[in-house]
Amino acid sequence: MDNKKSNHEIDVNKRDFFRKTAALSVTALAGTSLLSSNARADDPAIMHHVPWGQKWGDPVTKNRYGIPSAYEHNVTRRNTKLLASGNYRASIAVTPIHESMGIITPNGLFFSRSHGGVAHVDPNQYRLMIHGLVEKPIVLTLEQLKKYPSVTRTHFIECPANGGQEWRGPQFNSVQFAKGFMSSAEWTGVYIKTILEDLGLKPDARWMLAEGSDNSEMGRTVPVEKVLDDAMIVWGQNGEALRPEQGYPVRLLLPGWEGNLCVKWLKRLEFASEPWYCKEETSKYTALKPSGKAIQHFYANEVNSTVTSPSPEIPWTNLKEGDIVEIEGLAWSGMGTITGVDISFDGGNSYVPASLKGLVLPKSWTRWSYMYTIPKDFQINGKQIILASRAMDDAGYIQPTVDEETAIMGVESVYHRNGIETWEVTATGEVNHVQLRS
Amino acid sequence: MFNLDRKLIISASVAAAVAVFSGCMSGNAEPKGESTVNGKPTIDGGVYYPVVNDKTGPYYVNPQVAIDAKKIYNGRVPTANELKAWDKDLMPDGTGYPEGEGSVEDGEALYEAQCVMCHGDFGSGGGGYPALAKGNGYELKKTLTNNRYKNADGDGPVRVFGSYWPKVSTLWWYIQDGMPHPMSKTLTVDETYALTAYILNINEIEYEGEPIDEEFVLDREKMMKIVLPNNDGFIPNIDGPTGPDDVRAFYADPNNFGAKKVNPAERCMKDCLEPTAKVTYIAGAGISEFLPPMATERSLPKTEESNGGAKKHYEEACMMCHADTSMGAPAVGDAKAWAAVTAKGMDAVYHNGINGINGMPPKGGSDLSDADFKSVVDYMISQSK
Ligand code: HEC
Ligand code: HEC
Repeated sequence: MDNKKSNHEIDVNKRDFFRKTAALSVTALAGTSLLSSNARADDPAIMHHVPWGQKWGDPVTKNRYGIPSAYEHNVTRRNTKLLASGNYRASIAVTPIHESMGIITPNGLFFSRSHGGVAHVDPNQYRLMIHGLVEKPIVLTLEQLKKYPSVTRTHFIECPANGGQEWRGPQFNSVQFAKGFMSSAEWTGVYIKTILEDLGLKPDARWMLAEGSDNSEMGRTVPVEKVLDDAMIVWGQNGEALRPEQGYPVRLLLPGWEGNLCVKWLKRLEFASEPWYCKEETSKYTALKPSGKAIQHFYANEVNSTVTSPSPEIPWTNLKEGDIVEIEGLAWSGMGTITGVDISFDGGNSYVPASLKGLVLPKSWTRWSYMYTIPKDFQINGKQIILASRAMDDAGYIQPTVDEETAIMGVESVYHRNGIETWEVTATGEVNHVQLRS
Repeated sequence: MFNLDRKLIISASVAAAVAVFSGCMSGNAEPKGESTVNGKPTIDGGVYYPVVNDKTGPYYVNPQVAIDAKKIYNGRVPTANELKAWDKDLMPDGTGYPEGEGSVEDGEALYEAQCVMCHGDFGSGGGGYPALAKGNGYELKKTLTNNRYKNADGDGPVRVFGSYWPKVSTLWWYIQDGMPHPMSKTLTVDETYALTAYILNINEIEYEGEPIDEEFVLDREKMMKIVLPNNDGFIPNIDGPTGPDDVRAFYADPNNFGAKKVNPAERCMKDCLEPTAKVTYIAGAGISEFLPPMATERSLPKTEESNGGAKKHYEEACMMCHADTSMGAPAVGDAKAWAAVTAKGMDAVYHNGINGINGMPPKGGSDLSDADFKSVVDYMISQSK
């Protein structure tokens, strides 16, 4: 079985398509396996009336705000004690990316991270203050803020600790926990530069403090460069108001940059010539290197990717030799647009290009795909398959190997780990999170 | 970024105009990401998407906005008092340090009353709560070069306030704004100075060459003089007029931050791993205590129990403190502890629970209705007989 078909070979194979299907239907007609009406038991799901087919359904007056089918209840955010303050108020609940589809996360599944619990802000009492080194300071109500001309953009938000528990080795046999500290949405709001057109920034304004109104008064310092580029104040998430977990009614969005910088329940923006040194840019969200120095102001989430299907959660245990299956995954870069993803079946020793699919947008989740024929015992040359993906972006970056990344960053940095992720498939089709390291 | 940039940063306008016009010549093609802004690299090492032909990357923009925005002022000017009420941040140079004072001694008493239940004796931490001290900050700073990269079984670095934080202003500001965690913004200025003094003390930080002792009283002037052990522990420089350019220079070199650049045509496709690289598996079960437990089947959720979900509410909102005595709460299952609580009559118990008492936040921090809260109290008592 050749698992490393080039695109060219695949095209050639396509031409054989009609010939093969023709042959197949002849066999099928000749044999009895596919058409016999007696060989197998009839499927009761087809043979019987189903309850929902006979009884009245719900009136339209029910669930005025729709909710998922009750059968989908396992598709939820999850948390683990290890990543929680004792009372789950300075904690994270992560997104089930093994169930994700396309490049949008439904609002109810968007990962939830807060430092003093999820605040519930009364929109009528909401105020945003912009002051400091601006010619005209301003206070805005929510209604006034939303009167500014809006833009709508699709961007992921990623906690820079995504994968951060695994610097010293794999820990989570789960793609939800290994890579699900991120989600993606279509955001609506206003560019801060649009508001500043009138307020007027003073020339020595180099930094902006963004502060939340929640219990922890989350604050972060943002360089003015980002503010004048694509920084947004957003109130819309996938066509509706932000969810409380996402900072309702208003959060900061710095496309591509650390989720923590995208301050939620935003109440205040102050411009100054010197940076602030908030708790979350000193005590945490700083990346300690082997030299003993830590990187502060680590902004963009670097180019990254993972296989999402198969996963430890939804493995290949129902597949057998010869089955044809789509391998899917996500790629993303906070530094630009994904330009390509390579896939490996030997843990990242050799690669073939995978296909990007759907929309490819800047600083956004990008979906990739590869059609694969399952080999015997999930082995190649007597070795279990180890799936790996490696993404590139238009800023010129490519994911480093685990060895390359740790050679520079050591293993104590917690944040910004984007080394190549690897997933072993066992002889029975189970999927294990592993790492290839020296 | 260019419309505003042109207006504000005069020297930038020429370069910006060039970027716009050269973009136009490429016709209707989608504008590409650029890695330099006005001749300088971007501040984060990535690309940005200039507006060219009314598009930024794949997105159309309305060109009227940049013109009309100059006239939009939808709000009002904040009053002086409003600014004072919200502009309460502290900066390391002393900006924002309020007048006031507090002693280590007072700080210790406040700590024992309001902080110890989470942060432990002398700030030792535990149970998911961060440690505030682990000993002498100057000594522990030396552990920051510990890296379990080559020596997996060695000690890691100790990152607590005394050994790791660069600025004391951060501590004061955070305590004032964010602590105590269940009811932040309740400490006075003097109390915050006292708690800051106490945390400096347990980290054995020095003031003018002398360790901060029990007698020490912290105030604005003194706080300005304290330099923490790891003041110089962070890169790149962000201070002063060169701050942003220093950051820019840092992210211009991928080697500084563990990133990798490659010409796509030359990327490795074969023999990419170190010959020594081998498959590393999760040690033991790894971290696998997921809540709710991992499951992917499509089934109907199990129905709520007959006690109206009291058990579920307990697990979600109370168990974190009432499962054992570590938070100073009567533990569920401890008949004696609950007998002592209920001895004063159930009305008083409900009242204390709903309004909060000592370490018990109002309704345990939950948003249960009074009736539901009471049913959870009843449930907890029923489990403690
Ligand atoms: C109910 C538990 C609780 C109480 C009581 C509490 N804290 Fe905290 N504290 C926390 C949690 C949780 C965090 C971590 C917050 C985060 O991750 O953003 C924290 C963080 C801190 C930090 C930052 C630690 C670091 O290294 O990042 C300081 C300083 C602090 N608390 C001081 C105090 C002081 C002083 C008091 C008493 C006035 C107090 N806390 C009371 C739960 C508590
Ligand atoms: C942040 C930790 C915390 C949480 C969460 C919490 N409790 Fe408590 N609770 C305490 C502590 C500490 C006490 C002991 C207070 C004291 O010193 O009297 C207490 C005491 C109580 C008491 C006894 C009050 C009395 O009269 O002495 C009741 C009843 C109670 N809690 C119910 C609940 C319920 C119900 C919940 C969940 C909805 C809950 N608690 C959540 C910490 C907590």
